[in-house]
Amino acid sequence: MTFRSTQSVYADLNGQHLGRFLPDRRQLLKSASAGFGYLAMSALLANKARSEEVKPSSPPGHLAPRKPHFPAKAKRVIFLFMQGAISQMDTWEYKPELQAQDGKSGPGGGKLMASRYKFAQHGETGTWVSELHPHLAKHVDKFCWLRGLHTDTPAHPQAVIQLHTGTAIASLTRPSMGSWLLYGLGTENQDLPGYITINPPPNFGGTVNYGSAFLPAHYQGTRINDAGYLPNLEAQAPIALQRRQLDLIQSMNKDLASRPQAPSAIEGVISSYELAFRMQSKVPELLDISKEPEHIQQAYGIKDGPAGSFARQCLMARRLSEAGVRFVEICHPGWDQHNNLHRGLTNNCQAVDQPAAALLADLESRGLLEDTLVLFGSEFGRLPSAQGPDGRDHNITGYPMWLAGAGVKPGFTFGATDEVGQFAVEGKMHTNDLHATLLALMGLDHESLTYEYGGREFRLTDVAGQVAREIFA
Amino acid sequence: MSFYTKCLTVLAVGMAASGEHLQAQVKTPATAEESRQVVSAQNSLNTRSVVDSGSLQDSQLPADFEFFEKKVRPILVANCYTCHSADNKAAGGLRVDDYQGLRNGGNRGSAVVPHQPEESLLVQAVRYTGKLKMPPEEKLPDEKIQILEDWIRRGAPWPRVEVSQEIGKGSSDYQELLASHWAWQPLKNVTPPVIQDSNWATDPIDQFVLARLNNHNLSPVGDADPASLLRRVAFDLTGLPPSDDQLRAFEANPSSENYAKIVDGYLASPAFGEKWGRHWLDVSRFGESTGSARNVPYPQAYKYRNYVIDAFNKDKPFDRFIAEQVAGDLIPYSSESERIENLVATGFLALGVKDVNQRFKVRFVMDNVDEAIDTVTRSVLGVTVSCARCHDHKFDPVSQREYYALAGIFTSTDILAGVRNKMGGGGLDYYDTSALLVISQTKAEPDPEQHQKVEKAQQAVAEAREEFERLRGTPEGQEKGPNGRPRQQIARQKWNRLQAELNLLTDPAHSGEVTLGARDSKQISDTELRLRGEAEQLGPVVPRGFLKLATWEGQPQIAAGQSGRAELAQWLTAPQNAITHRVIVNRVWHHLFGRGIVSTVDNFGLTGDTPSHPELLDYLAQDFIQNGSSLKKLIRKIVLTKTYRLSTENVAAYQEIDPANRWIWRHTPRRLTAEEIRDSILATAQSLETSRPEKSPAAELKVIEIRNNGPEARNLQVAAENSTLRSVYLPLVRGILPRALEVFDFAEQGMVTGARDQTTVATQSLYLLNDPFVRQHSVRLAQSLLDGEDHDDRSRIVHAYRQILGRDPSVTEVNTIIDYLSVYEKEANIYLTSHPGESSETVATTPLTTDANSKPDDSPAAPGNNPPGASNSALALANADEMEQSDLPVTMKKISIRDARTAAWGSLIQALYASAEFRYLK
Repeated sequence: MTFRSTQSVYADLNGQHLGRFLPDRRQLLKSASAGFGYLAMSALLANKARSEEVKPSSPPGHLAPRKPHFPAKAKRVIFLFMQGAISQMDTWEYKPELQAQDGKSGPGGGKLMASRYKFAQHGETGTWVSELHPHLAKHVDKFCWLRGLHTDTPAHPQAVIQLHTGTAIASLTRPSMGSWLLYGLGTENQDLPGYITINPPPNFGGTVNYGSAFLPAHYQGTRINDAGYLPNLEAQAPIALQRRQLDLIQSMNKDLASRPQAPSAIEGVISSYELAFRMQSKVPELLDISKEPEHIQQAYGIKDGPAGSFARQCLMARRLSEAGVRFVEICHPGWDQHNNLHRGLTNNCQAVDQPAAALLADLESRGLLEDTLVLFGSEFGRLPSAQGPDGRDHNITGYPMWLAGAGVKPGFTFGATDEVGQFAVEGKMHTNDLHATLLALMGLDHESLTYEYGGREFRLTDVAGQVAREIFA
Repeated sequence: MSFYTKCLTVLAVGMAASGEHLQAQVKTPATAEESRQVVSAQNSLNTRSVVDSGSLQDSQLPADFEFFEKKVRPILVANCYTCHSADNKAAGGLRVDDYQGLRNGGNRGSAVVPHQPEESLLVQAVRYTGKLKMPPEEKLPDEKIQILEDWIRRGAPWPRVEVSQEIGKGSSDYQELLASHWAWQPLKNVTPPVIQDSNWATDPIDQFVLARLNNHNLSPVGDADPASLLRRVAFDLTGLPPSDDQLRAFEANPSSENYAKIVDGYLASPAFGEKWGRHWLDVSRFGESTGSARNVPYPQAYKYRNYVIDAFNKDKPFDRFIAEQVAGDLIPYSSESERIENLVATGFLALGVKDVNQRFKVRFVMDNVDEAIDTVTRSVLGVTVSCARCHDHKFDPVSQREYYALAGIFTSTDILAGVRNKMGGGGLDYYDTSALLVISQTKAEPDPEQHQKVEKAQQAVAEAREEFERLRGTPEGQEKGPNGRPRQQIARQKWNRLQAELNLLTDPAHSGEVTLGARDSKQISDTELRLRGEAEQLGPVVPRGFLKLATWEGQPQIAAGQSGRAELAQWLTAPQNAITHRVIVNRVWHHLFGRGIVSTVDNFGLTGDTPSHPELLDYLAQDFIQNGSSLKKLIRKIVLTKTYRLSTENVAAYQEIDPANRWIWRHTPRRLTAEEIRDSILATAQSLETSRPEKSPAAELKVIEIRNNGPEARNLQVAAENSTLRSVYLPLVRGILPRALEVFDFAEQGMVTGARDQTTVATQSLYLLNDPFVRQHSVRLAQSLLDGEDHDDRSRIVHAYRQILGRDPSVTEVNTIIDYLSVYEKEANIYLTSHPGESSETVATTPLTTDANSKPDDSPAAPGNNPPGASNSALALANADEMEQSDLPVTMKKISIRDARTAAWGSLIQALYASAEFRYLK
């Protein structure tokens, strides 16, 4: 093999082509040590596919970890999004009065429908949970409940968008909450996207829900499906050959970087290639849950096919979170039980209960729950009254979510609905308040986290938002 | 933008929900001295009755309101709110928690006619006498029905809110701002400064620039070398690289005369419109679907795209261009083709993001009006007027009344995007064939039985719909029908099928030519100011008119009986309207220098940047007007200057003084746009098809919601991936952006985008390393190089460099590449020998196959329709909210390569495409 060493290639390229701009060796070493893995090329030439000497690149400014406004209680978030609206009356909201008033007129009209599921108290907190959640019931003492949530629009499309971007107004697409977090905090692991959403709804705004809108594209969410697929992530040539090709690209880029006409973004281009190359191996590795020990897989209930989708997502979420991904969202759809309430709800809870509980246990045993915030809930809730013989309609006037982990009081309840569960009456929190609170837990002041667009400072919470400090641990 | 609306609505919703009584949301004037007047505003949630004369309703007494609060509202709350209020789906589009909601009614029309209980649908429904019976569970007791009748007989009194007469008249500092802010002053007559001791400046533009440079102790760097200059101007004017022949010819004769000749050639080429038309498509937030909550296609949108491209190629005067887009349907034409152009141009007002799942028609209408106002004002005037939808503008002198003066123009306009609002709709529900602008109906003879056929089809649709509604959500609906699917699903499909058949009879898109666009409404009138921007909360009526940002004696006045769009167009484009002309010349400057004279190209307001060269900006605007608003002349003038022709060379000392290059001491390097990257890969690989496609792949889509991971989305992606057309012709359904565009900061399709981002992210690198598109065309070029006339590898390498990077490689570079190729080829051979039995499975992951006969997949451009077997996924859904969520299986396109040598060359070509040098213009 006669391929010359990197350094001589570099010097020659410059010497021949650029004459007076020949960099000296010190300068060369300096830029090499800046982490482009440049000198590592000679090692690679010895038929080494991936060099351990390739150091992680210095983080590009926009995604470098940034100090929060005030000390953060949580470093990262996992959002378990139950798209379609969970019937809280049959799962998490125990209302003796509703049970007593079955068939009677409700406060919002319609006929009340008692839950047909058995509720029991769990944990030291004695939290009531229905029989649909035997696994999650074991973790109730970790939960910090928000039971007075409300939102603006009782239609999934707008409500899903509002939950993710703070507003449901179509005329101006806003950045999603994960993008705001990334914009505010950067990301911990420069080898991975900082914001990943698995299996998000393909409708109801689709990309809007993880887009960066007018924030730069660095902050947009990366969508992967529940099989861990990400476009263009798979090297399309044998990896040793691709590394060789990449080294050629990088030598051309370095050459350009040394010229006086170099565009200012050139260093960013060079590091983006190294990141891309690392992502090719690291991301699939991270998303490959088959390497997890048997007992972990069993705990999550990993299986193939659609039935195992949520379990796989939960395990991927833990792995991504553990690796330092700032914001991970996973999704279980299909909670929209206008009819078939009982069969649908039973199925959904079965799919979600064990994996979500396993995720909490797993995070806890790894010490991750101390700085990871878990959020579980829907775009709105369902009514205590009946819809048809076996259904419940949407309720935007009072519904719960639970948080667990970093920064929140365990075994705590904030807010409440009325005695049958129709209207939020205490500790009411609008979606903007929820966002303000989440940002605060991450160390960000929702009023200061702004971005100027079209002549106005924008923020996730628009012109509203109250932080529910009551829930802070 | 109704930022405030929302939070206040929330407040109201929450409070009403909990049964609390809400205090009046509209502030009562603080002092008694303030004049007051009650206007026609009602507040559905305000239970504090205010009585006054002068309201729209007849004189009403406090007793009326007490009657309402004590007797009527409780009935509505207890029996109707569950289905007909802002907190829920407002079934049938009707809400009874709001006066306007009752007056305007839902899908069946007005629910309440004041003083006429017999005429009021509400009364008919509660009496259970007709087909419509409400509440459905059980008839109300007679005394309650009586109360409702009495209430309507009394004139349906509803509590109202006091509104200050001063509302929305603007802040006290507006006058001063109007008089002082640079952007809104008339254009100045400026003379280019005379520069002593310099023969650098050859043009007034250069004189302006040089004067500023001198002020800052800067000097222009040297001229760009011919190759860099040619590449720069070729991309800037056409979005394509120069051909190698052009490059050689220019290098041989880089004279100014020859340069000017080349510039003229670029300006005259169709590629110019494809490049510059795209700039305007960014500004006009072009997209081929509603986006937003339910993504429904606009199959006709491509016509507007073509119109824009043609307009730039024809060098349509900019004032005319704007006038056509705002009021093309109202302005005179001299030929049939001009008439069609004018109509298609109005698509500008219609093709924005729309929330078709909106429950309330009035909100749908006002949101679309807002979207149109926002687009027009930001694109043409560089000001965000939309802020004044809810309140007087906080920064710029635009009062809420001025907003509603403009809104009246657009509420008097039908904005036609072929869609209607319908909450919880599905299938073809959103398609509104009457909301299309008909260009022509080609059917030769009217069918005498047409009327009968339509009636019959309508009848069938109505029956199918009823059947579906009957089955929906019932145990019977869940039962399996003859084909094994639930009965409700079968019913839904039948309804869809019949609806499609009806559409065939009535849809003007089937029987002729239609487009998205605008026309004057049947009802022309001024509209009310909306309190806090809430569509239902009416304030005083505001006469239609324009903004005070530009006023002059004898400015256009809106004639009675017309929407006012024609006059708006005149006002926008009149030579006296300085801001319009400043904004457009600044946009052009931005595209040619990477930074506008005003860097905030879409915002010339108080929060925007101030001009770096204010005199130059006015000079350009004046000159532009004098030259008949010719964009080609303006562009030509600029690219011929010395300023434009500067090299990109960096000078450390200057860098220190002016790091952002605000004073233009050099040319700022710029990254190619997403389109330029893709198009030049195609062009250099000799794969680019330069003709214009007839339509867009999106033109074949049914007007039915599409999900972003279903068959339609996949087909659009495949069509884009296989296409060899220029990028401006790729399908642009919102949220389903072709990957080649998505990764390189394509314009956000929901917003006016005068300046795109230029991010550098890993997904771009992954795209260039792995995307089938890049690989396929790299291999293609490699093959043609290897099969071509070059005698040896050295000349092939030179060829590749010139083709892709527009320059000769150095000797060292050639040597490096020769070594690279030989090592790569050797290793590829070893790899292939050690993987002899590559099954097709592994081929997919490591697609280095030796198939001597196979050629790279160069399938022709997608014909722009759905491949066979593709069905519309949303069509069969009983409940549109239950859309399938999982992804379709991913199939990676396989690129087969005939041998290791081609693989090596392909990897070299790809490396050149992937290099930063390819991506950045000097």
